Amino acid sequence: MNEFRFIGVDTARPDAPDKVSGRAQYIHDITLPGMLWGAIRFSDHAHARIRHIDTSEAEKLPGVEAVITAYNTPEVRIGFLRDNFALKRDKVRQFRDEIAAVAARDPETAREAAALIRVEYEPLPGVFSPEEALVEGAPLVHETDARGRARKDNIVPVRFAHHSGDLEAGKRASRHVVEGEYRVPLIQQSCMGTAGCIASFDARGNLTLVAKTQIPFLAQKDFNRALGALGLEGRNTRVVVPALGGGFGTGLDTHAYEYIAMLLAWRTGRPVKILYNREEEFAFLSPRQSASARIRQGCDENGRLTFREIEVVQDNGAYTSWGATFPSVMLVPATSLYRVQNVSFESKIVYTNNTYCQAMRGYGNPEITWPIESSIDELAELAGIDPFDMRLLNCNQPGETTPMGLKITTCGLKECLERTAASLDWKEKRGRQDAKRRGVGMAGVINVAGGGKIYRSDGSGIILKPDDYGNVNVSYGGVEMGQGLHSALALTVAEALGIRPENVIVNQTDTASCPWDVGTHASRGAFMACNAAVLAARKLKARLLEWAAEIYPQEVEEALARARRHSSFKEPDFDWRDAARRGQFELANGILTVTGAPELPELQVDFGRLLRAVHFRRQGPGTTFAEDAFYEPPTELPDWDKGIGNMSATYAFGAQGVEVEVDEETGEVKILRLVAVHDVGRVLNPQTLKGQIYGALAQGIGYAMYEQVLTDKGRVLNPGFTDYKLPTACEMGFPIDVQLVETNDPEGPFGAKGVGEPGLVPTAPAIANAIFDAIGVRIRDLPITPEKILLALRQRR
Amino acid sequence: MAYDYHRSGSLAEAFALAARDDSALIAGGTDLLVALRKKKRAAPARLVSIRSLPELTAIEAGPGLLRIGACAPLTEILAQPVVRERLPALAQALAVIGSRQIRNVATLGGNLCNASPGADSAPPLLVYDATVELAGTGGRRELPLSEFFLGPGRTALRPGEIMTAVCVPLPVPSAQSVFQRRSRVAMDLATASLAVNYELQGGVLKSVRLAAGAVAPTPLRLRAAESWLEGRAVNEETLAKAVELARGEIKPIDDLRGSAWYRSELIGVFLSRAFRNRKEGDA
Ligand SMILES: Cc1cc2nc3c(=O)[nH]c(=O)nc-3n(C[C@H](O)[C@H](O)[C@H](O)COP(=O)(O)OP(=O)(O)OC[C@H]3O[C@@H](n4cnc5c(N)ncnc54)[C@H](O)[C@@H]3O)c2cc1C
Repeated sequence: MNEFRFIGVDTARPDAPDKVSGRAQYIHDITLPGMLWGAIRFSDHAHARIRHIDTSEAEKLPGVEAVITAYNTPEVRIGFLRDNFALKRDKVRQFRDEIAAVAARDPETAREAAALIRVEYEPLPGVFSPEEALVEGAPLVHETDARGRARKDNIVPVRFAHHSGDLEAGKRASRHVVEGEYRVPLIQQSCMGTAGCIASFDARGNLTLVAKTQIPFLAQKDFNRALGALGLEGRNTRVVVPALGGGFGTGLDTHAYEYIAMLLAWRTGRPVKILYNREEEFAFLSPRQSASARIRQGCDENGRLTFREIEVVQDNGAYTSWGATFPSVMLVPATSLYRVQNVSFESKIVYTNNTYCQAMRGYGNPEITWPIESSIDELAELAGIDPFDMRLLNCNQPGETTPMGLKITTCGLKECLERTAASLDWKEKRGRQDAKRRGVGMAGVINVAGGGKIYRSDGSGIILKPDDYGNVNVSYGGVEMGQGLHSALALTVAEALGIRPENVIVNQTDTASCPWDVGTHASRGAFMACNAAVLAARKLKARLLEWAAEIYPQEVEEALARARRHSSFKEPDFDWRDAARRGQFELANGILTVTGAPELPELQVDFGRLLRAVHFRRQGPGTTFAEDAFYEPPTELPDWDKGIGNMSATYAFGAQGVEVEVDEETGEVKILRLVAVHDVGRVLNPQTLKGQIYGALAQGIGYAMYEQVLTDKGRVLNPGFTDYKLPTACEMGFPIDVQLVETNDPEGPFGAKGVGEPGLVPTAPAIANAIFDAIGVRIRDLPITPEKILLALRQRR
Repeated sequence: MAYDYHRSGSLAEAFALAARDDSALIAGGTDLLVALRKKKRAAPARLVSIRSLPELTAIEAGPGLLRIGACAPLTEILAQPVVRERLPALAQALAVIGSRQIRNVATLGGNLCNASPGADSAPPLLVYDATVELAGTGGRRELPLSEFFLGPGRTALRPGEIMTAVCVPLPVPSAQSVFQRRSRVAMDLATASLAVNYELQGGVLKSVRLAAGAVAPTPLRLRAAESWLEGRAVNEETLAKAVELARGEIKPIDDLRGSAWYRSELIGVFLSRAFRNRKEGDA
């Protein structure tokens, strides 16, 4: 039996009807009166000095209202290292560098004008891989840092490392050691809704930005700083978030195009919209970076892990955004996926003249789980142990503290692994290498699931405001981007307050009306929002029930008096006055009553009626209600140099398994069955939770087998879905068994953990491990294409 | 982008408009509109639509011959029992072109006239010895399909000429044909494809036809491999030699869909699989 009324029950998403009927307002749908369209002139070189910019032809084009460059606008620096500029003045460092921009009456004119801008360059030699960039004497992408100090190499000045235990002792204690180098490609987040914004100023110089962002409040901070650069210190930015067609990390930073829209809006005094089409999204937005990882791990004669050593090199591209901090998240699995002492982790982030990179769902975790979980299988193979048994032997346990200092509270990893094996019929199927070339593989995952502290506060505020009609408006600063956050909020508020989910109305995210939130990332949205919601709902409920002592008897007496006019009425055989005197009130399902009362309408006060009775009180001043709460999880900001700190309030675990069939003549891999078992703490809305996992699996399969942004000396070769391949419904035509393990986390709202990211983390290594089981070939370089498999088969012979 | 759009009321009118050098013919538009949007083709002043002319959409089965109007949508062609029963390689190829939505508007003539090296209808039509009817203000002519393709995007169509129909001789019932293809995902152009048509008589191969797609500037017949196989029994040695000859005839390139090496491997696999384990009378 479900102990809850709404939690755990399939509930339609509140945002779904508008989305499926085309009524939701995405950035694409929004037009403001007097609005102009912006277009950007991007670089024609990956690395060059800008000699001259001639905007005269663009300015002459009818319909053009403004043409801006770094020479006629104030300098706006962006990125957390301040190594990027909204408009480039002296040098371009990547093909997507913004050199000039135009505001015009329509998008066609704006694009045409941008194309008329003539730029003279002095091309410079570039570096297009970390290997090239790290060579002694390689061209420098940045000659100086943000403060103007000379730089000597192309290494980005961020450090994430971890050294615990005694690595050498671990190595000596090893019976078996494996080593391998693994690679992951550059990939695109591939949001259905492309990027865009509208910037507008009021007459006092305050900015409103309608932005496709996941971090409204950090963005507000960034834009306020930029207002300072315009000489508008003390003015404010209001960030309004429209319906988002997917975020997947693209909205975790502010972008040059947003500052350009702001500069154009300030210059023209009119709202300016910039919208990317699909090709621009591919060529000019920050993808997920490519990386390589060298991993060594060992085990003793029983298969117990003895040490783990990892060195990561990431291609940062030309500027620094949050992608450069992926190693902060890599530390979690590197130190804490399975029990391992003696861990060493080093990372190097390298500037190149490639496109600069950004966050994407999983944020370093898939990149590092790929080598770790492939290497576990390699180690098991070498040690002659079943990889499933090896995982069980080294499985994380509730109550343990890992080398990184992660405090594992609840942990369903063992159950996830066991259920995965059972669903795959593992013992029967593994290691057969039969004529059909079928194989099974699995991989596990650990992921932050109670926030991920990377900022001074990892908290979330919320405001609950009931109206006179029994609805509760929720103002929350995080972002619904398709993942189902509003559904989780509606269920949680309803459950915690005692009303119905359809009476919970979640407002549009707007920095002017919502309390602060650090951003919707790190699988933290529902965990934070719902924890804050529970706190606020409790306060609100306590206040409401205080009023019940006055309102309930008054409303019930009245209802009874009305009822007595009917001859058939029978007095209730229940002393409700006594229960009310004792304060035994209950609010559930939108109805106020007293404990033990029979289900008679006269003894029930509708939630809206209660609110109105308080507002329009018969005697004395009435009141309306609103309660807020701020939830700050009990976590630590890690010491990144040491790679130690309990950055999340809880951790999600999971395991995925796959059965494949490999065509040894063509190298094609057919997935026969996919199993995903995830420790989710508690299921809030089964429908949206499964949606998160199905979607993540498709992304995981894309990462594993299809996706790659191809570049040639920094230029994107496949900017669109014609040649950037996502799995289609046809590629997903196999049975998927999703199982949810409930560990009921003490810190989670109703026990729930964050679930946004884990679903795509172990997919690639599970597939690679299954391919190895089928044909004995190991691919260490994503995506696993038929061509790579065939080549590996040929090389083996 | 703005064009005049002219929906032809008659074939004569279409011929007249097509003859003007600022016109472009549009059938289903699934290649043309993409090319125009991506600026891979100079913008014409006028699009001349020919897809609703009944003369161009009819599909007629005569004795031993199927005449498919150039503007017949792929879905319509696939719905013909004669195609599924007598021309299985063509049915297999048409069924994987794009998606159902694409197949509902894409035409056979468009697929051929677009002259992509990977046009999926071409290899099966080549192995069935299809001919194409071309017509214009200057009259009508018929050409073997194998002489139609001149290069990527280039055909034997003369300025102003319209392809009116594709004529496919129906193979003898004992003939066997198959189309094989690989692409990265569904809804993707072929990385490589191969159509095969042959008869097995008294243990030896007869009337062997092989045609490959996406491995040369045009879809092409693999004549050296065909004549090697002609009159021989199917065994691993024969096939190995045929694969070697076929690989010598194709001219694959490296591109985003695959490397030349992989394409060449695929052609070998498709060829062997088309003949391996086939017995007399197998469908
Ligand atoms: C999403 C998508 C997926 C696709 N997948 C495939 C695939 O898997 N395999 C494949 O082979 N193709 C594929 N295509 C390409 C395309 O759908 C086919 O080539 C289609 O058959 C073209 O027919 P159409 O009627 O749309 O041609 P149109 O676009 O109308 O015309 C194409 C060209 O041929 C000319 N033309 C058309 N008809 C005639 C005629 N009767 N006489 C003279 N010239 C003519 C036009 O002027 C134009 O130059 C795909 C396209 C899309 C958009």
